[in-house]
Amino acid sequence: MAQETLRPTSQVRVPARRSPFADLGSWTIFAVVLLAGWEIGSRLYNQPYLLPAPSQIIRAMGEDYALVLDYARITMQETVLGFVLGAVAALLSAMLFVWLPKTIEDFLYRIIVTLNSTPFVALASLAVVWFGLGITSKIIIAGMYTFFAVLYHTHKEFISVDPMREYLMDVYNAGWLQRMLLLKIPSALPIIFTSLKGGVMAAVNGAIVGELFGAFEGLGYMILDSRYVGNTVRVFLAAVFCTLIGWVLLGVVTFAERLLLPWHVSMARGKSS
Amino acid sequence: MSAIVEMERISKAYEVARTPGLLGRRGADRALDVVTNFTLAVRQGEFVCVIGPSGCGKTTVLFLLAGIRDPSDGRIAVCGKAPADAVRVGLSSVIFQQPILFEWLTAEDNVLLPLRLRDPRWWWWPPRRARYQETVRQLLRTVELEQFARYYPDKLSGGMQQRVAIARALTLNPQVLLLDEPFGALDEITRDRMNLELLRLYDERELTILFVTHSIEEAVFLSDRVVVMSRGASARTGSSIVREVRVDLPRPRRLALKEDPAFFQKVREGRAALREAQVAD
Repeated sequence: MAQETLRPTSQVRVPARRSPFADLGSWTIFAVVLLAGWEIGSRLYNQPYLLPAPSQIIRAMGEDYALVLDYARITMQETVLGFVLGAVAALLSAMLFVWLPKTIEDFLYRIIVTLNSTPFVALASLAVVWFGLGITSKIIIAGMYTFFAVLYHTHKEFISVDPMREYLMDVYNAGWLQRMLLLKIPSALPIIFTSLKGGVMAAVNGAIVGELFGAFEGLGYMILDSRYVGNTVRVFLAAVFCTLIGWVLLGVVTFAERLLLPWHVSMARGKSS
Repeated sequence: MSAIVEMERISKAYEVARTPGLLGRRGADRALDVVTNFTLAVRQGEFVCVIGPSGCGKTTVLFLLAGIRDPSDGRIAVCGKAPADAVRVGLSSVIFQQPILFEWLTAEDNVLLPLRLRDPRWWWWPPRRARYQETVRQLLRTVELEQFARYYPDKLSGGMQQRVAIARALTLNPQVLLLDEPFGALDEITRDRMNLELLRLYDERELTILFVTHSIEEAVFLSDRVVVMSRGASARTGSSIVREVRVDLPRPRRLALKEDPAFFQKVREGRAALREAQVAD
C-alpha cells in the first residue's frame, strides 16, 4: 500500500543549510559604521565627561584590564548562579502549581503577583539588608529577576496544553509525573527557552542592581564608584562588559535550545524534508 | 455471541451557558441534550459505524465509550468494564480525528508511548526494552511505515501521521477500537487506502470496531451496521438514533464493491435515514 520510498540525500538537490556565519559580514559592517559614527560624533562634541569616544574606552580598558576582568568575573559569577537558581526555582514552582489543588495554587499565585508588582528595586535593597554586602545578596537578586521572568510563561504553558493531548494521556492512564515529563515539559520547552533568554538578561540586570545597592566589587560597584569620581569612561567600560556578559550567556542558552529542540519548527528553518 | 460494547439508554447533556458569579460561584444556565436515550449493543467482531449531521453527538458517543466523558444518565460497558477502565487496561483503544502525535518524539517513540506509560521503569530492564522495541517495529511494519521509524511527525504526510496514530492505538493489543472520523482530513484516494488498511487490521486482529464518520459511503463500505443519529431526539424513536441500516454486503470488501448496485442500494438507504435525521432535527 505505501508508496513512500526513501533515497539517499546525495541523489536529491537539497537547499544548503544556512551557515551560522552567513550574517558575519553584514554584522561587521554594522558594528564598524556604528563605532565610527560614535567616535566621530564624540570627537566633534569633545566632552569626554559626557560622551567618551570608543577609543578612549579601549584605552581605559588597556589601563585597568586586570581590575575590569576581575570585576566582570565576579558579576558573571553572580549572574550565572542567580540565573540557574532562579530558573530552577521557577520551573519547580510552575510544576508545583500544576500539582497543587486549585485553591492553594490561587493563593500562592496571588502572593507571587503581589511580589512581582512590588518595585524590584525595593526588593533588591531589602535583599542587601538581609543577606549582606557579599555575593549572596547579588545571587539572590539575580535569581529573583530570573524567577519572575521565567515563571509566568512556563506556568501558563503547563496549564494550556491541548486538551486532546491531555485526553490521550488520560486514555493511557498516565501518572502526574509522566504527564509532566512526557507531555507538559516537552510541549512547553519552546516557550520555556524563550523565557529563559529573557531571564538571562534579567539576571544580568539583577546582579548589577544588587551591586549598586552595596558591594565592594563587581561591575555595578565599578559603575557607581566611577560615577562618584566623575570617571565616565569607566562607567562606559563597565556597561560594555555587562553587555558582553549578557551576550555570552544568551549564546549559551541559545546553544542549549538548539541541542534540546531539534524537533521544533523554529529550529527546522533551512532544513529540508 | 454476547455484546462487547453495551450502551443502555445513555443520555448526555452539556452545560452551555454559564453566568459568571462572584467568588467562583457559577450557575449552569442551560443544558443542551447532545445524546438522548441512546441504546447500542455491539457484538464481538462487529464493525459498527455511527453517522449523522454535524453536532448530533457522534463524537460525544465516542468520548463516552472512551471514558473521556461520563454519561448524564444510563448504563455503559466496554468488555464488561466501565469505559475508562477498559481503555486504561488496554482492552479498548481510541483514534481521534487528529493524529495527536507528540512532535518531540519520533514515529517509533510515539508508538512506544502507551507501553512506556504503562510501565514507567521500562528503560532499566534491557530485555523488556528490546521486547517493546520489537513490538513497535512490528506495528510500524503493519502500517507500512518501518522505514520512517525515526522520523519526526512533522516530516510525515497527514495519512502517514494517522497511520502512526493507528499503530499507537494497537500497541496494547486492544479488542475494541474506537475511531472518531479518523480519515476526515484526508483526500479521497488516501482515504480509500486507509479504509482498506483498517479492514485488513480488522480481519487480522479480529477487532471489534466502532467508527464515527460523516460519510455514508465510507460507513457502508466499512461496516456491518450503520447507526444513523439525528441532532436532538427523533420524534419517532424518542432517541438520538433515527435508524439502523444493516449492511449485509460480503466480506472481504474490495474497492470494486463501490461500483456494485447492492452498495448503491445501501448508500441510498443510509441517505434516506440521514434525511429523516435532518427532518427530526
